[in-house]
Amino acid sequence: MHGTLPRPLTALVFALALGAGLSAAQPVPVSARAYHVAQQPRRVTLAQGQLMSLRPSLGISDREAFVPVHAFTNAEGEAVVRLDHTFDGHRVVGSQAIAKVPLGGTIQTLTHHLQSNLRLAGEPTLSAEKATAIALRHLDPKGVMKDAPRVERVVFPSQFLGGVATIVDPETGRTVVDRKLTVLPKLAEPFVWAYEVKTRLQNEQDGLKQLTYYIDGRSGKILRVNDAIERQAVTPATGTGKGYYNGAVSIPTSLMLDGTYAMYDPTRGTLPNPNLQWFTPDESGWSATGLQAWYEQNDAEGNNTWMSYLFQGNTENSWGDGLPFTAYGSEGGANGQTSGVDAMYAMTATWDFYKNVLGLDGVDGKGTTIYAQVGMTGSWYRNNAAWDSWAMGLFLGTGTPGGYGSFTEFDVVAHEMTHGVTSTTAKFVNAAGYEEAGLNEATSDFFAQMAKAYASAEPGTTVPETGTDWRIGFKVGNGTPVRWMDKPSKDQRSADSWYDGLNYLDGHFSAGVLNRALYFLAHGASSTPGADDYSPYLPHGMKGIGNDKAARIWFKTVTERLYSGGVGQVTFLDAREQAIQVALQLYGESAGGYGMDSETSHAVENAFAAVNVGRAYGEGPRTQVRFADWRDHDWISRNHSSDIGYEHKQFLPIGETVRPRITVLNNPNTAVTWTLGGPSLYNGGSANKGGVINADGSWTTPFNLGWYAITATSQADPRQFAEGRCFLVNLDTDGDNEQDAVDLGCIAFSWYLTNGLNPAHSMFNAPWVDDSDVATFVDAMKATWWVK
Amino acid sequence: MRKLGFLISGLLLSLTLACGGGSHTTPAPAPPAAATGLTYTDPTGTGWRLVKDVHSTPSRLLLNLVGPAGLHTRGAGFNLKAPDAVRFGAFTESGFPIKDLGVYELWNTNPWPGDGSVAVGSDPLEPRLIAGGVKAGNLLTVGIFQKDRRATAKDSGQPLCQIALEYDAASNLRVGDTLPLAITKAKHMAEDIGAFAISPTLEMASKAQLVDMTIAVGSLRAN
Repeated sequence: MHGTLPRPLTALVFALALGAGLSAAQPVPVSARAYHVAQQPRRVTLAQGQLMSLRPSLGISDREAFVPVHAFTNAEGEAVVRLDHTFDGHRVVGSQAIAKVPLGGTIQTLTHHLQSNLRLAGEPTLSAEKATAIALRHLDPKGVMKDAPRVERVVFPSQFLGGVATIVDPETGRTVVDRKLTVLPKLAEPFVWAYEVKTRLQNEQDGLKQLTYYIDGRSGKILRVNDAIERQAVTPATGTGKGYYNGAVSIPTSLMLDGTYAMYDPTRGTLPNPNLQWFTPDESGWSATGLQAWYEQNDAEGNNTWMSYLFQGNTENSWGDGLPFTAYGSEGGANGQTSGVDAMYAMTATWDFYKNVLGLDGVDGKGTTIYAQVGMTGSWYRNNAAWDSWAMGLFLGTGTPGGYGSFTEFDVVAHEMTHGVTSTTAKFVNAAGYEEAGLNEATSDFFAQMAKAYASAEPGTTVPETGTDWRIGFKVGNGTPVRWMDKPSKDQRSADSWYDGLNYLDGHFSAGVLNRALYFLAHGASSTPGADDYSPYLPHGMKGIGNDKAARIWFKTVTERLYSGGVGQVTFLDAREQAIQVALQLYGESAGGYGMDSETSHAVENAFAAVNVGRAYGEGPRTQVRFADWRDHDWISRNHSSDIGYEHKQFLPIGETVRPRITVLNNPNTAVTWTLGGPSLYNGGSANKGGVINADGSWTTPFNLGWYAITATSQADPRQFAEGRCFLVNLDTDGDNEQDAVDLGCIAFSWYLTNGLNPAHSMFNAPWVDDSDVATFVDAMKATWWVK
Repeated sequence: MRKLGFLISGLLLSLTLACGGGSHTTPAPAPPAAATGLTYTDPTGTGWRLVKDVHSTPSRLLLNLVGPAGLHTRGAGFNLKAPDAVRFGAFTESGFPIKDLGVYELWNTNPWPGDGSVAVGSDPLEPRLIAGGVKAGNLLTVGIFQKDRRATAKDSGQPLCQIALEYDAASNLRVGDTLPLAITKAKHMAEDIGAFAISPTLEMASKAQLVDMTIAVGSLRAN
């Protein structure tokens, strides 16, 4: 259903050359301002014409148009024009374009709030009068209306359906659900005809209310209610915090309208948070725009109550007790605030790192507000931290007394925030089975280190060489990091280097490969065997290029060159290739920064070569062992795309002597040594290890069905190996203790019945039989008793 | 028969030389020529049998499985053991050492109502019930069956599938050498496998057995 909903276009900026003139950012002299203001009507027309011409590229049809609704001339002499999006002459709610028109140069149009692919049939069946009556019935005024309601027919995007609204309870001071403003309708269509009904009450009985209703033009359902009364803004402030991980720190807060302080920073973030925006601003002055820290309310036993609150109501602007979190049930108190202090401090520094060093406004580059919610419990959240790209929020666990600490350590917070960067740019798939899951996690680890480095010195525009420890979650783990970056395998789970089959690891552990490469790139690699920063793939070591260069290269690589789109297509080798190109672009030796060669690009080559991704600078092709990927998009790989990694998996019969297929590249000696199991198994992988490797290198498979891991190591270059997965199936469907092609017949007996006649007819011992069984049987026959 | 043939030839040669006079030595009989291919004589009878295909060549013998005329079946499979001097050849079409001759319907004949499955021909990758291989001991195993119960059983009295036997030139056989072939297992799927139902019935379960059969094999010789 979500896939059918229209989405605002993402920050498309189109430009049209209008000839030479004043630069858009160049301030204009006072005497020129009158001229610019006089030119404003013409520029409004230009803006409208520009947007109308862009309609096809914006996914907007001929029935739609742009109508100027507001314009002003800014300090730079540009006309800033806002244009409503209309459909058959009716305004589309929440869909507006902004254009900036300078005297010369280019018109810039900001269209990320526009709705596209608008589809709407028929006409409203409800009259405007009826819609107004519905709104008034809900408003239920006790006194006299200040003004008559204003009603307008509009197009309503279902994504703006109302949600939970809140209000501050005057008795407790807590934010509670405002039942008057909360509406929970559902819509089957992405757009509906609706009426916007504006009401205004100002009398003794009702007080001051200015509610705007959106009424479904057919069903009469209330789609959304807005309170249009504008409230005074809060005052940014600086609080004193005692963090557990960061110690005494200053954190940004706000003096709210009720005279208390909140962990709410209106100076960071210019667009509302997509999750918090459903909460209606209350009298405190809070809004969904501005970095902020919330907490999950648990009971005294640490069970989630599914209620969450902003850290607020603090009269001293002094937060936290600096102690480990233990105060279940009192998360809003001083002990609970400690986690909020750590999270707020890390979020602030990471936000500034991205903005000041890398020029990224917020994690999505658009200034969208993010927030942290600490004190998370529940089976998954308690000992974990997560970035929710839907909510644009960080959800940070409490940890467990005696075990992990609160998941609010700086590099954990910065790691999760960085997922916000990747989830809006490269959009890596974060699931085992894809190499890019490792790229995803390592990118978060690396920029967590860079943010730490940034926070370790006076704020600037570069990444200092201080502050990194190349460990993630050292304090959360009470002195045992969650991950090491210099030698990831120190956790006995992560990989230090690439091999075919690395994708079987969870992304947090395949991340070791890129973590180490980026560590080498920034810090360098040793030539001393046995040292943590020594790699047998680069025995002579390398000199690092420093944090700042490494950060800029990798940031540009991820945000400008890699794109998965959620389909798992990016590999470590892709990442290497693009990083080399970025290094050449940023630090190339020839004019224009696009050199063919540079020491920096050599360092990128060497850093990746040190983790066995590609060759080192000047090195010839490396021996490569690849578990057979002969499947070549056959029926199995096509129809089991959700069963990740089938391209590299083989089906074989149980209890037979087989030779899994393997490919050795770039070496005339293609002999391999087979071993049972594989490195992914120490990650708790679901594959088994079994059977016997015979003297001639063949594998006598065990008699049990299931996934088995098996590893082939090059005899010519033992550094090169591949781990593969084989699923062992029982072909003996007719029960005569012989696996042969005659068994095909019994598959047919059960094929595609709602239930099979005999589980033995299934390759997976399943209660049904379908084409998966046929394909698997055929595949296993072919792999085992192949005829040339 | 073969030994007797050699004996007669040898006697004739000896007599000729004796009559010619001049020599008292008797030369050894010339050895049979080295074989370069295979020759196959079809078995007699009208039951299940392996019959030579007309497109056979001396180096690649094609044998068709033919069943009793009038016997309707839904597929068959068998294991055939051959001497090492005979190699079982693969077919490009299937990738297996068995070729479909187009009698059996190996695919989904109609979409199941509402399940999104597709009709024959619309998916070239659809897995079909045809497979084969050569196991240890030069044992060929092949199978070809109709996947869909809704397909009608087919008259078996026609070439149903094909296998290929190739002569291994490195085996040093002589012309006329016998190459014994042996069927070690053969089964077919009967016409009656129970009335069609999408859910299993007791009748279907009771008839879910392949039927043992005997396949007659002709004589194979090096040539």
